[in-house]
Amino acid sequence: MGLLTNLKDSISRAASTLFSEEDPKRIGIYGPPNAGKTTLANRIARDWTGDAVGPESHVPHETRRARRKENVEIERDGKKVTIDIVDTPGVTTKVDYTEFLEHDMEKDDAVRRSREATEGVAEAMHWLREDVDGVIYVLDSATDPFTQVNTMLIGIIESQDLPVLILANKIDLEESSVQRIRNAYPQHETIPLSALEGDNMDEVYDKIAEYFG
Amino acid sequence: MPHQCTNCGRAFDDGSKEMLSGCPDCGGNKFQFRPDGVDSSNPPDPDAEPPEPPEPPGADSTVARTVGKTAATVRDIVGGNGGDDPSVGADHGAGSSTGTTGAEGTSPETDRNEAATRPEVEAQRTDTEDAAQASARADVVTPDELPQEPQTDAESEHRFRPVGADPDPPEEPEETERPDLKELREELNDQFESIKVLEPGQYELNLMELYDREEYIVALQEDGRYSIQVPESFRE
Repeated sequence: MGLLTNLKDSISRAASTLFSEEDPKRIGIYGPPNAGKTTLANRIARDWTGDAVGPESHVPHETRRARRKENVEIERDGKKVTIDIVDTPGVTTKVDYTEFLEHDMEKDDAVRRSREATEGVAEAMHWLREDVDGVIYVLDSATDPFTQVNTMLIGIIESQDLPVLILANKIDLEESSVQRIRNAYPQHETIPLSALEGDNMDEVYDKIAEYFG
Repeated sequence: MPHQCTNCGRAFDDGSKEMLSGCPDCGGNKFQFRPDGVDSSNPPDPDAEPPEPPEPPGADSTVARTVGKTAATVRDIVGGNGGDDPSVGADHGAGSSTGTTGAEGTSPETDRNEAATRPEVEAQRTDTEDAAQASARADVVTPDELPQEPQTDAESEHRFRPVGADPDPPEEPEETERPDLKELREELNDQFESIKVLEPGQYELNLMELYDREEYIVALQEDGRYSIQVPESFRE
C-alpha cells in the first residue's frame, strides 16, 4: 500500500507542478537579528521538505547570507501552496564586533563576522527591493517591537505593496507579549508562535497559504 | 587620477562616469582610490600602495573614502545649479591659485568651522581637484597655525583649513542667502553613505540608502573599501 500511496503522491505532485499557473512566490523571512528567522525557516522547511535551511544560533548574525529553500509545498485544506522561502540576515543599523566578543569569540573572528553581517544586511535590503513577492516579518515577542529598524522595514514593505505576515515569535518565553506587537503594528495581522517549540504552526501555515497562495 | 581599475590599471578622474559602467578597457568593476601624485600607469600592487591622504580624526574620517562614490552624484547636482552659483566657481579658482596657505589667519573662524563639518564641501571639489586642492584637502590645521582668536575647546584642533583661499569674503555665506546649498547639503546627508565604517568590525548602515541603490555591495574590505555589483542596465 505504501508503494501505491507514494505513487499517487508523486503523480499528484507532478500534476500540480504541470498545472500550476505561475512560479512559486518567493517569500522573504525578514526581521531584526535573533528574532528566530532561521529557526522558523528550518521549521517550515523540515515540516514540508524534510531538509533544513541553515544553522541556528544564539549568537546574533549567525545568518550572514540569504539562504533559499525552493519549492516548499504547503498543503492546506486540500489545496497546495508552493513557495520559495528566503531566510535573510537580521537587519540592523549597527554592527559592532565587540558584541560578539561576549560570546567567546576571538577578535579576528568577531571582526570578520561583523563584516560579513554587514554585507548580509546590504544583500537583504537589496533583495527586498527586487527579489521577494511577499514577506514574513519575524519579531521576538519578548523584546520591544518599537524600533527604528522594524518601523522602517515594515514601512518599506508597505510601500512596495507586498503582502506581509507579522509573526510574534518566542511565545514560549515568559516575557513574551504578543499584544505589544499588535499595538505596534495594528494595521497588520499578528500571529503568535514559537518556532523553536513548534507552537501554533498550524495557524502560521494557514496564514501563509492565505497570504501567499 | 584618483581611481584606478584594479584589473588593467587604467586610471580615471575623480567623479568619472566611465567607471560606472565598468572599465571600458577590460570590463573590470573593481576600482581603487589612488590619491594624487601616484603614478597611475603602474599596475595595481598592494604592497606598493600609497597611504590614503591624512584625514581628520573623528566622525569625518570616512569622508574621503566615500567621496569617490558620491562624486558623480555631487557633480550632477552641482552641475545642475552650478551656473547660477558663483561661489562654487570662485572657490575652485581661488583654491588652485593660492594653494594651502592663502587662507591662513584671514578667513573668519565660523567659515572654517562650517567647512570642517560639511563633508559635501569636500565632495564638490573632487570634481575639478588639482594638486593644490588635493594638498589643501589633505592638510589638517595645527593649533600653531590657528589665528589668534580665542579657541579653548578641544575640537578646534581637528578642524580643516578651508580649501578656498579667497582672503576677504566668506566663502560660504549664511545659509539664508544660499538656499540651494542647504538643499544640496540635505540631499547629500540623506544619500551620503550606505555603510559607514567606524573602524574595522564596526559599521553603521543606512538602510534606506541600501534599499534605494540599484547596485549592491557584495564585499566589504577591511580598509573601508567595498566592491559593488553593477546592475546589468549600467553596462550597456
